[in-house]
Amino acid sequence: MQRFLDPAVLASISGLDLVAKTIVQGFIAGLHRSPEHGFSQEFAEYRAYTPGDDLRYVDWNAFARTERCYLKRYRGETNTQLTVLLDASASMGFGSHRVNKIDYARYLAASLLYLANRQRDAAGLIVFDDEVRNCIAPSSRHGQLSRLLHGIEGAEPRARTDYAKPFVHLQNLLHRRGLVAVISDFYAPPDDVIRTMEPLALRGNELMLFHVLDPEEIQPTLREPGLLVDMETDDSMEVSPEYARTEYRHKIDAHIEALRDKARRSGMDYFLLRTNQPLDQALREYLTVREGKY
Amino acid sequence: MGFLGPWFLAGLAAVGLPIWLHLLRKHRSTPRPFSSLMFFERRTQSSVKHRRLQYILLFALRTALLILLALAFANPYLRTSTPAGAASGGLLVLAIDQSFSMREGDRLERAKREALARLEAGRRTQVIAFSNEAHLLNQPGADLAALRGAIESIQPTDSRSSYAELVRALRAIAGASREPLDVHLFSDLQKTSLPPAFADLKMPSGARLTLHPAADSTVPNWTVESVIAPRQVYGRASVRVAATVAGFNTPAAKRTVSLWVNGREVEKREVTLAENGRATVEFEGVEPAHGANRCEVRIDSADTLPADDRRYVAIERTEPLPVLLVHSGASRDVLYFRAALEASANSAFRLEEVSAERSGGVAPSKFAFVVLSDLAFVEPSFEDALKKYVRGGGALWVALGTVSASRRTVPLLDGATVEGRYFARDAERFQTVSYADAGHPSIRRANGWQGVRFYHVVRVDAPGLKTIARLSDETPVLQEAAYGEGRILIFGSTFDGLACDFPLRPSFVPFIEQTARYLAGLSDAPADFLVDSYLQVRTAREQGVAVEVVDPEGKRPLSLKEAATVESIPLEREGFYEVNRSNGRRELVAVNADRGESDLTVIAPETLAAWQSSEPAGTQSAGVGAAETRKNLWPYVLALALLAAVAESLVGNRYLNGKSAGRNEFRKEAAA
Repeated sequence: MQRFLDPAVLASISGLDLVAKTIVQGFIAGLHRSPEHGFSQEFAEYRAYTPGDDLRYVDWNAFARTERCYLKRYRGETNTQLTVLLDASASMGFGSHRVNKIDYARYLAASLLYLANRQRDAAGLIVFDDEVRNCIAPSSRHGQLSRLLHGIEGAEPRARTDYAKPFVHLQNLLHRRGLVAVISDFYAPPDDVIRTMEPLALRGNELMLFHVLDPEEIQPTLREPGLLVDMETDDSMEVSPEYARTEYRHKIDAHIEALRDKARRSGMDYFLLRTNQPLDQALREYLTVREGKY
Repeated sequence: MGFLGPWFLAGLAAVGLPIWLHLLRKHRSTPRPFSSLMFFERRTQSSVKHRRLQYILLFALRTALLILLALAFANPYLRTSTPAGAASGGLLVLAIDQSFSMREGDRLERAKREALARLEAGRRTQVIAFSNEAHLLNQPGADLAALRGAIESIQPTDSRSSYAELVRALRAIAGASREPLDVHLFSDLQKTSLPPAFADLKMPSGARLTLHPAADSTVPNWTVESVIAPRQVYGRASVRVAATVAGFNTPAAKRTVSLWVNGREVEKREVTLAENGRATVEFEGVEPAHGANRCEVRIDSADTLPADDRRYVAIERTEPLPVLLVHSGASRDVLYFRAALEASANSAFRLEEVSAERSGGVAPSKFAFVVLSDLAFVEPSFEDALKKYVRGGGALWVALGTVSASRRTVPLLDGATVEGRYFARDAERFQTVSYADAGHPSIRRANGWQGVRFYHVVRVDAPGLKTIARLSDETPVLQEAAYGEGRILIFGSTFDGLACDFPLRPSFVPFIEQTARYLAGLSDAPADFLVDSYLQVRTAREQGVAVEVVDPEGKRPLSLKEAATVESIPLEREGFYEVNRSNGRRELVAVNADRGESDLTVIAPETLAAWQSSEPAGTQSAGVGAAETRKNLWPYVLALALLAAVAESLVGNRYLNGKSAGRNEFRKEAAA
C-alpha cells in the first residue's frame, strides 16, 4: 500500500476524493490498527466529574471501585476542529517533475480533511493567495467533505502570497480552538510568517506549518546561465549555475531553518515536505499532533 | 614562405562571423519560470562574463577553422634553399642549347663545362642537345664516360633555339621514365627563343628546373638582317641588291657594308646606325655573270658573334625563255600580249609569233609554252606536235574568240562543245567576272579582274575542265585542264581588246606575266632560305629520277635511296646548297640563319621565375648554382582544419546537449 502514497502514483488517479481515500486508507493500513477501534471508539482518558457533565459518560464501574465519579472519554469524541489553509499563489504552480507543488498541496489538504471527516472532526478550508479565494467554515455535517474537496479542486495557483489577510479572516472565522494546518511554500520572511500566525497560536489553536517545496527549489540544478522568471512577480533575473549551487542553497537552507526555529519557538509544528516524498509522513505528523494535544 | 593564391586570404574576413556570434551578438536566454527569486541576486555581469569564458574554446576552434580553411585555399608553401649538387633523386636531365646564338663568345663551351660539372657518379642522366628540335644524345644511364662523350660531342648549329621544343621533349621523357625529372638547362636564355604561348613552357609534373645561363649579360650585336635581290636575272639586265643591317643592344655607330659576288668584293658602303637601329644599303647596277652567282652582303661588326655578319644570296643569270604565239593574222592580239609579257624590266620571256598558216614546221618543244590566239584552224602537223608536246609536260594557252566559235572545236580537246555568246546584243551589254579563284597563280595578282567587261565569250564544255573564273551568268571565262603530263589553259575571250576590254585594264599585265610564269614552270622561290626550312627538290611526277644535293661544306647529305625518293630536303646549314634537279637544271640555293638568333637579349627574370614555377608538382628551383625547393603546406593546413572541425563538432555538440537539456527542463515545467 505504501506505493499508493507516492505522489507520482497519486497523480495518475483522477478525482480528489479517491486520492484522499487512497492516501488515508493506505496510511491507516500501514499503522496495523483497526480503523474502527483505533480512532472513534478507542478509550482516551478519564476525567473527573464536574457539575454539568453528562451523566451518560460516567464510568460507573470505576465509581464502584473508587467511589469517585469519572467520565470515560473516547478519542472519537474529542470534538476536534481542523481548518486547512491552502496557499494557491502562483509560486505553488512550480514543479520540476510530474507533481507540482499545488497538486501535492491538494493531495495533502484532501487527505487531512478526509481523515478529519472520518473521525467526525469538524473540518474547514481556506484557499488564499493575496486574497481569500475560498472559505468553507469548519463543520462535521454530512456533505462537508464533498464541499471541502470541491473547494480544494478549485484552488488554482495565481497571484501573489499575502498571509495577513487569510489569517485575519481565520481569526474572525474560528470561534473555538482547533487544529490549523497551513500548507504553503512560505516564500516570505520567516518573521513575517510567524508574526502573522502567532495570534492564532496564542488563542489556543494548534498550528501545523506544512512547508511544501519542490526538490529543484531546494537544490537547483542549473547547467548554464539562464534567465529565471519569478512566477508571482514576473520579474526576471539572469542567474549563473555557480550561484544556484552555492549561495542559493545556503539561503534556502537558512530560510527553512529559520522558519522551523521560529515556528517551534512560537509553539507551532513545522514540517518540510518535498513534493517527491510520500504523503504518509505528513499524515503521521498530523495524527501525532492531534493525539498529543487533544 | 609564400602563397600561390594569396587572394584567398580575403576569406580571413569570415573570422568576423564567430566574433559576432560569440562576442558581439546580444545573448538571448530562454526565460525559465521559477517559483520565487527572493533568494537569488542579480549578477548579470558576472553571468555574461562567465558565459563568454565558457564558450571561448568553441570560439577559438571556430576561428581557427576559418583561418585554416582560408590558409589552405591560399596554398601556402615554404621555400627552402638546397646547395647545388644536392639535388634529390629522379632522372637528371642536362639540356644544352646548341643554337646559332651559342656561337657567341664561348657560350657553348661554358655550357658544356657546366654540364660536365653537373654529372654525378651513379646517377641516371639524360643529355639533350636542342635548338629548334631536341636531340636525345644517349639512353638514360649512369655511365660517366658515355655521358661526358655525349656532352663533348655537342657542336653549335645554325638553327634557332626553341624552348617549347625542349619542354615538349621533356614531357616525352617524363612520360617514358615515370620518375621526376631534375632538369638543368644550359642556355643563353634568349628572349627570341620563347614561344608565343607561355603554356608551351609548362614543365611536366614533378620536374624541377634549374637554369644555368651561358651568358652573363646581354651583349651588343650587329647583323645583316635581310637582303632583297632577284633570284634570277634574264638577259643583260643589271641587278639591284638592297640589304638591311640592324643592331641589337648596340650604341649608335658607323659600319661598313659590302657586297661580295663569287668571293670578290664588288661594292662597299658606309652606313650610320642609330642606337639599336636599322639601316638599308642599296647596291645598284650589279651585273652578275651568266649562271649561278654566290653573293654575300657583309658588315664589319667587330662584335662577338661574327657568324651573323654576312648574309648569302644566290643570283642566277639566264637567257629569257621563248614563248610561241600562234595567231590568225591579226596584229592587235600580238601587240597587247607582247606588251604585257615583256613589260617587266627583268622579263623572263621572249615572245616569238607565227601565223597559223606558217605553224606547220614549228617545233613546240623549243618553247616554254605555246599560245593559240583565236585560230580559225590549226595545221594538223602542228596540232600533232602540240599534242605530243603537251602530253610530255608542255603547256598550251588557248584564247577563243568569234573566229574560234565559228569553228566550234578547241585544239587538243576532242569532243568539247563550243558556244559563242554575245552579251553586247543582250540587254546587259556586257558581263563582268563574278567568281575568280584567288589561289590560282593567274588570278593571284590580277586583283580578281575587277571591272573587266566581256562583250563576247566562248563557252567550252568538256570533261576534266576546271573553272578558274566565271562571269555573272555562270559562263566560264578561264578554265584549265590536264593533258598528259602537261596542262591546257583556256581563255574564253581574246587578247585583241575587241571581245573584252581586259587588255586595256591594269590587271592585264600581271595576269599575263603570272600566267606565263605558271605555264613555264618558273617558281617564285625567294633568293635565300632560312635554316631549318625545306627545299622542294622534285615534284610528285618526278619520282624515281635521282637528284643531287651538295651542302655548304661540299658534302652530299642524301643517300642514293633518298636522292631517288625525297621530295624535299631540310636546309640545316648556312651557306650555298647546290641542287642538280632531275630535269637537268642546276640550282644554287642560299641559306641563312634566322636573324632572331642575332638578338641576344636575355629573358626577363620574372619570366624565368614564372617558367620555373610553371610545373604543378610544387617543387621548383631557381637561380644559378643553387636550387630552391618549394614545399607545399596546404595538405598540413587542411589536416589541421579537419582536426579543428572535429573538435568544434565535439565541443559544439556538448554545448548543444547542455542547451537542449535546459530546454527539456523548461518544456517539462511548461507542460506541468
